[in-house]
Amino acid sequence: MSNLIRKESAGNALAVQEQVGQYLTFLVDKESFAVSILDVKEIIEIANITHVPLTPDYIHGVINLRGNVVPVIDLCARLKHHPAEVSKRSCIVLVEVEVAEGTQHIGMLVDEVREILEIPPTNIQPAPDFGTDIRTDFIRAMARVDEVFIILLAINKVLSLEELSQLGRIADAQAGHTGEQAALIN
Amino acid sequence: MSDFDSALKIFAQEAEQLLQDMESALLTLETDPNDGETINSLFRAMHTIKGSAGLFGFNPIVAFTHEAESVLDKVRNGEQAIDAGLISVLLDSKDHTAKLVEHCLNCPDAALPDELAATSSSLIQRLTGKSPAHTLQSTDIPSPLLSEGGGNMSLDDSWLISLDFKYDALRNGMDPLSFLRYLKTLGEIKDILTFFPDMPQDAEMNPESCYLHFKIAFNSDASKQTIEAVFEFAADDCDIKILPPNSKVNDYLQLLDALDEDHVSRLGDMLLQIGALTANDVTHALNRQARARQTDMEPVKPIGEILIEQQVVQQPVVDQALKKQEQTKQKVAAESNYIRVDAGKLGHLINLVGELVISSAAMNLIVDRHGLSDAGDVAASMNSLVNAIRDTALELRMVQIGETFSRFRRVVRDVSNELGKEIELKIYGGETELDKTVVEKINDPLTHLIRNSLDHGIESPEQRLAAGKPAQGSVQLNAYHESGHIVIQIADDGAGLDSEKIVAKAIANGLIKPDHGLSQQEIYNLIFAAGLSTKEQATNLSGRGVGMDVVKKNIEALRGSVSIASFPGEGTTISIKLPLTLAIIDGFMVGANEVRYIIPLNMVDECIEMDARECEINETEHYINLRGHALPYLRLGDYFHDPKTESAKKRESVVVVKFGQDKAGLVVDALHGEHQTVIKPLGKLFEKLKCITGATVLGDGNVALILDVQGLIETAITRRKRTAAPPA
Repeated sequence: MSNLIRKESAGNALAVQEQVGQYLTFLVDKESFAVSILDVKEIIEIANITHVPLTPDYIHGVINLRGNVVPVIDLCARLKHHPAEVSKRSCIVLVEVEVAEGTQHIGMLVDEVREILEIPPTNIQPAPDFGTDIRTDFIRAMARVDEVFIILLAINKVLSLEELSQLGRIADAQAGHTGEQAALIN
Repeated sequence: MSDFDSALKIFAQEAEQLLQDMESALLTLETDPNDGETINSLFRAMHTIKGSAGLFGFNPIVAFTHEAESVLDKVRNGEQAIDAGLISVLLDSKDHTAKLVEHCLNCPDAALPDELAATSSSLIQRLTGKSPAHTLQSTDIPSPLLSEGGGNMSLDDSWLISLDFKYDALRNGMDPLSFLRYLKTLGEIKDILTFFPDMPQDAEMNPESCYLHFKIAFNSDASKQTIEAVFEFAADDCDIKILPPNSKVNDYLQLLDALDEDHVSRLGDMLLQIGALTANDVTHALNRQARARQTDMEPVKPIGEILIEQQVVQQPVVDQALKKQEQTKQKVAAESNYIRVDAGKLGHLINLVGELVISSAAMNLIVDRHGLSDAGDVAASMNSLVNAIRDTALELRMVQIGETFSRFRRVVRDVSNELGKEIELKIYGGETELDKTVVEKINDPLTHLIRNSLDHGIESPEQRLAAGKPAQGSVQLNAYHESGHIVIQIADDGAGLDSEKIVAKAIANGLIKPDHGLSQQEIYNLIFAAGLSTKEQATNLSGRGVGMDVVKKNIEALRGSVSIASFPGEGTTISIKLPLTLAIIDGFMVGANEVRYIIPLNMVDECIEMDARECEINETEHYINLRGHALPYLRLGDYFHDPKTESAKKRESVVVVKFGQDKAGLVVDALHGEHQTVIKPLGKLFEKLKCITGATVLGDGNVALILDVQGLIETAITRRKRTAAPPA
């Protein structure tokens, strides 16, 4: 019986792969990116963002999402290493990432949300080893849409909490704060 | 099925609680073996577990606890003394019972493993082997009370028996004299009055009818039940009233006092239990009461009055019984005043209250903005209600820390036996309250710290004696409130921290360099660094996976702090400072560079104006003269954001914050006043951020950050040090 179920679910997974995937495309620094629609919780307009002091540039701040405090990552700063210019078209794409204690909502600040594209698996190619100015582990795959390549982002890498908070500590240390041990060594 | 499961869950919880109580009772008895109430609670624990286990058919538990219960019953009745040996057997029995409960819950149908069965029988052996062989009939009225009788008695000491034979007594084959003869076998008839008030005139008198009435003064040691049994056969043909002797009244009163207060019993039952009434008396009185109720002829009297009227019991006994009944009622009422509530529901309630606080703040904001004066009154009264609700809701989760503390008595007892040290645990401030969620999370760090004190802190008795200290070491657990925080101290009178060893170890681990130049305090703080243990050989007490670094991390995760004070040869004190609650605090809102921040109100000491003329401000050294004291300050805006240009500076204020013994000033642009702050976690992303502890949602929907004052100041001090002395 359990074997049967396993077979069935394996079959489903195959079917999903063969199905045409839906992707949300958006612009960051005039470049198109996409994430799987399954990762996206919702898209919200830019409201009042509270800046959190002593954090690196890519942490844009926190927002109030129906009573919960949700951090917002500046994708431009994260991918392109310079802060985004917030315009009328700027949006926050809310995604859910897995952490040890469950899931956490994180907002991604993007310059503009474009559309939802259906991309057949045949049009998706593995990421090139070099040739982009973005860290290769951030790229899940490249999708060819109308002879233009769009980068499919690896959300769990781009928004890796371990890395984001770790870098936060380094920036913190640069701002003057040091961990206890570091202080002792010095 | 699910009903049964939930019942099982309740059984498990109840058993755990009872065993916990039992353990602390046993440990109390160790110091005070004559504490009757504690012995009673021991007995009740075993008794209740036995009863509940019986309901579920957990026979191994019933069989085992029955033996323990019998032993405790003897102890309770003073037949067996409780001594150290018995206490330790009982402690083992308690552990064993816990194992049995666990076994039965996990595999209710499986037979008891041999190991458990063997422990059961060996413990039963130990339990009963020491106890005297005779059994006790606990229902018996203790004999000394009854034997007081004897000797020269006046009528006062006599039973008053009145026998009113009915007309048909003789026809039914009763012989009144035979009863009197039989009565004589039980005692002495002091006096007898025979009268026949309803005897008709000669002609109407029927020789076959019985018109006799007797009043008998009777001396006997027999109980009322026994005396009544004499007239058992005559009960249908004779009204029997047996009034106990006056001398017995005192006995009854005493018995009433000693009566178990476990549940409210009816007056009749109570009097029956102490032997002042017989079942017949009660039945008659109840029948009479029922008749009165049916006929409506006479007002329905309470059963006590009826009993007195019927002359079966004296007034004082009834009064005392009523009083007792009232006491028991109150006691039971007090006990049933507690409701067990699912912690999840409470958590949900507190979350909702948090949302309520935020939306009430939003409403106030709108009322203010639109200047609705009539709505303002309503808003203000609602606001104060919301405040009260908030406080009450948080209080619901407040528990006394004493229970957590007393769990450690067992730890201390076991560990000190294991280590061959004599250690006494002293507990102070057990009634201090804090949030249940905090209590749960503080348990592991506390256990670790106490084990540390026992293992590393307190020396062996020989070493202690050599150092001129008493052989018995002591560990103190102390809890008290301090400015919105709870402080928990673990103090031992051991050897203190060995700073040379710590330094050597830290250098060996590469934590510090040989030319460290650290202060004594900084060296002590090194023990919170990972991978540092000064104990040369690891015992089975250390290495539990929780090091001092984890302790510190756990406590800081609760927005708390831990500090250490140690004096060589005198001992070590570790103080843990924790917020009372994790959910909602009173905050003080300030603005710096158009950004609003919340400072926990309990850390705010005062607010002063940043006026260059009044307080001497030293811009280069960053301190001001606060009434003769140098107060270091920090410009919040400059610190968090880019420094402002001189011209943009408006009137500034200084918020003086205090943490522990230290004070510092935070220079801000605006003071927004008090604000009820519902703490929203910032999540993993910001957990390394030292100066912000959380966030809150303001009435206008914006997010404000809550400052961690201590972290902020520490960060600033470190930064100052680094800029002042560039790294080597």
